[in-house]
Amino acid sequence: MNTFKTAVILLVEDDVADQKLVKRSLSQAKIANELHIVNGGEQALEYLQGSKNGDKQTPMPDLILLDLNMPGMGGQELLKHIKDDDELDIIPVVILTTSDSDKDILESFKLQAAGYIKKPVTLEGFHEVMQVLSEYWFVICKRIIHDNECKNKINQCLISR
Amino acid sequence: MDSSKFVVMLLVEDDLGDQKLTKNALADQEIDVELRTVGTGEEALRYLQRCCNEDAQSPRPNLILLDLNMPGMGGKEFLKEIKANEQLCTIPVVILTTSNSEVDVQECYKLHAAGYIQKPGNVQKLKEIMSKSIKYWFEQSSLVKS
Repeated sequence: MNTFKTAVILLVEDDVADQKLVKRSLSQAKIANELHIVNGGEQALEYLQGSKNGDKQTPMPDLILLDLNMPGMGGQELLKHIKDDDELDIIPVVILTTSDSDKDILESFKLQAAGYIKKPVTLEGFHEVMQVLSEYWFVICKRIIHDNECKNKINQCLISR
Repeated sequence: MDSSKFVVMLLVEDDLGDQKLTKNALADQEIDVELRTVGTGEEALRYLQRCCNEDAQSPRPNLILLDLNMPGMGGKEFLKEIKANEQLCTIPVVILTTSNSEVDVQECYKLHAAGYIQKPGNVQKLKEIMSKSIKYWFEQSSLVKS
């Protein structure tokens, strides 16, 4: 279990108040994490392109938290882009949204979201959600290592199969 | 029984000892878990086919726990098949395996696994892991309605 490496989380969220809530609750989560925030789908793609290029300002996320309702490129469209991308498709994407529509839930899981969380209404609610979520993804589940040396070793293994 | 706190899990695991371990870890959880167990990927596919045919004896799982190393169709092959199935691809699949190989982790996430858990040695540890996973998947997350 690699609990020692700081978890990098990318939050894709246009609402400033919700950005603050996530930031606050993650800063108090028991698992060390580094939160990056973008406010839309297009900005997320830019960020992730930087990750692919090894840009240190935009490290590859271990987890993406994704709002659905954003102006411009919506959450589901971004999710589709990510899952269609050969390098980005391994990143778990968890939906964090106000919508509780069955249609949105179905569509998100069809696009291989790795969770669908309805945004809590209180700060306590957010604390609890972020605590449970970060424990699941960063303590219980094994994470993919994104540093290049390991990546090359893994690619060599995959090629030789 | 409060139907909102009742979930069906499908465990795909060939080792009888590990089947027992997981069954014990899931008992006495805060949420009532109906655990269905199959020993191979092929059996799992047959079970899921019955779910699609709305067989009353085969309730559709809300979550699948999947071992990797099984005789015949391995875990990854099974995962690939259900992710290619339009009706089944919306069920989250969480890997539960002894393997801690980076290659396995990467390949499983590439195949859209919704988590990768390395089996701990004892039931207490597994109980804790299951409790937290249940909290994440069934208390906090919304899932596709069966």
